[in-house]
Formats: sequence, structure tokens, C-alpha cells
Amino acid sequence: MSSSLVWQSLLAIMLMVMIAYGSRVLGLLVMSHVPLGPYVRRFVDAMSSSVLIAVITPMVVHGDGGTRLAAVAAGAVAIGLRSPLASIAVGMFCAAWWRWWFS
Amino acid sequence: MILKDNYAHLDLSGTWRGIRMMLPLAAFTVAFGLAFGVAAVHRGLADWEAMLMSLFVFAAPSQFAALELWRSPLPLLALAAITLAIHTRHMLMSAALYPWLKPLPRRQQFAMVILLTDSSWAMALGEYHRGERNLGILLGGGIALWSAWVVGTAIGLAFGGGITEPERFGLDVIMLCFLLMIVVGGNPRAVMALPWLTAAISALMAYWWLPPYLHVMVGALTGGMVAVLLPGRWFGTSAS
Repeated sequence: MSSSLVWQSLLAIMLMVMIAYGSRVLGLLVMSHVPLGPYVRRFVDAMSSSVLIAVITPMVVHGDGGTRLAAVAAGAVAIGLRSPLASIAVGMFCAAWWRWWFS
Repeated sequence: MILKDNYAHLDLSGTWRGIRMMLPLAAFTVAFGLAFGVAAVHRGLADWEAMLMSLFVFAAPSQFAALELWRSPLPLLALAAITLAIHTRHMLMSAALYPWLKPLPRRQQFAMVILLTDSSWAMALGEYHRGERNLGILLGGGIALWSAWVVGTAIGLAFGGGITEPERFGLDVIMLCFLLMIVVGGNPRAVMALPWLTAAISALMAYWWLPPYLHVMVGALTGGMVAVLLPGRWFGTSAS
């Protein structure tokens, strides 16, 4: 591999590191200039759980039958047992089972 | 180490607790890392390139996306744009952590989010809402997942084409199940129904009609704004 390609790769990875870490820090920087009043607290609290909802919803809507079955089963186990391990294990089993039989 | 504010603090026992709490997911993260290592081998990345990425970028979605763009010459601008788009949600996540991290000096705040991921953030914030103030939970969770990710990548690079169809084993739903557990397994409040419904609908619309990865940002901001617009008494506060 030529040294120019090595530098190109290093530059690309460095760029990714800067953006990834920068985004992790930027939220703190912005919030340090915002007074934490009741409205802001309520916004931040709701936003933090809404992030998860926003991540999950398209996964479920656009997922295959296995993904949807996994979501329903994992959600039920999460409510019933409150165990991450059980929830993940049941979800994985359901997704694998569905795909084994229907694809 | 005891910080300025005794309420929020960081110590070894909290960090160990964070590591232990994240161990179940860390076991699955090894499989994710392995999948990345295997994919990197198949895309022609050198071992050192894949390892550097896992060690320092430590972000599965952007690393997988980078593999799609990894060719010579490297499209740096496209790589930067896609990494930025994928990571906008981390800005919101660290903002959500600010009330907890606020008592720390700025340098320590910045250090605490180095290993921030969706899963460690979700677990730590869940604990914070249950009254936990030991920042070791956040740090320990991050350490557990980072170690698992790096080890998984190394195994994947070493043993090449092991798992070729991870979805056949249900490996692709791990993150979904874990995030679901965080949302519904932590005593959700009825008052959050409307913000969450709005977040879900707006995220879905953004997913369909906006550029990739913006849906998380849109859903999160919409959910937050709806919560602000609701009567304060519903939340048990007097501020509206």
C-alpha cells in the first residue's frame, strides 16, 4: 500500500473521530449556555425518551415479520419481567424463529 | 473521586456497577463487532484501518456506513457528511445528560461522553431518572461496550467469514429489543403518551421524506416540543 493511501485512510478515520466526538460534546456545549428552567428540563426529559421512540419506530414499521414479532415479544417481556437479557433473548429467538419458517 | 457537587459523583464502585449492568448487551456487542470485522475484511480494509476505526470512532452505524464508501480515492466529503448525519442524535443525547453532568468541570464533562453510545446513554439515563447520581454507571457502561466492540472487531478480522447472515440468528434485532426494554421497562408515565406518539409519527414522516438519518433528530425535537406545550400540571410542575 502506498504512503499516500495510508495518509488518506488516516485522514478519513481522523475526520470520523472528530465528527463522532464533536457531536457527543456539542450537546453539552449548547446546554451549558441554556438556563435549566422547568420548560427546558421538561423539553430535555421528553426529548431524551423521544430519541428512542424515533429510533425504534422506523425499525418496526419497515422491519420484516421477524422484526415486528421480536418487538412485540421483547416489549411484553420488558413490561412483565423488566430484564434486558430476557427481553433481548426472547426478541432474538422470535426473529430467528420467524425467519427460519417464513423465509 | 468526589466532584464539587456531592450529589453527582464518580467512583470505582459505580463504574463497576455500570460495567456489570452492561455485560449482557456487551456479549451481544461482541457479535456486532465481529460482524463489522468480517464486513471490513470483505470490503478490503486493512486490519489496522478497521481496528483504528473501532478503537477511536467507536460508532457502529457510521463505521458500517463508512465501509460502503471505502474505495480509492476516499470520498472524504461524503464520508464526513454521512458520519455527521448519523451522529446528530448524539448531540441530543449528550444534551439530555447535561443536567447530570453539570456539576463537573468542563474537561470532565467532555471526558465522560467519549464512550457515549445509544445503549450506554439509554441505560445511564434510565438510572438517572430512577434517582442514580453516580456517573460511573455511564462510564462503566461505555467501557463495557467499547471493550466488547474492539474485541469483536479483532475476532472478526482474525477469523474472516464466520457469520455471513447475522439476521438469520436474530442478531439484527438486539439493539431494537434493548431500546424497547429501556422505553417500556422503566415505568413509563401516561403523560408521555402524546409526546411519544408525536415523536413516532414525525420520525416516520421524516424517515420517508427527508434525507437519511434525520428522522431521529426530527422525532426527538418534536417529542420535546410537544411536552413543553402540554399543561405543566400534567407533569407535576407549576411552570406553565
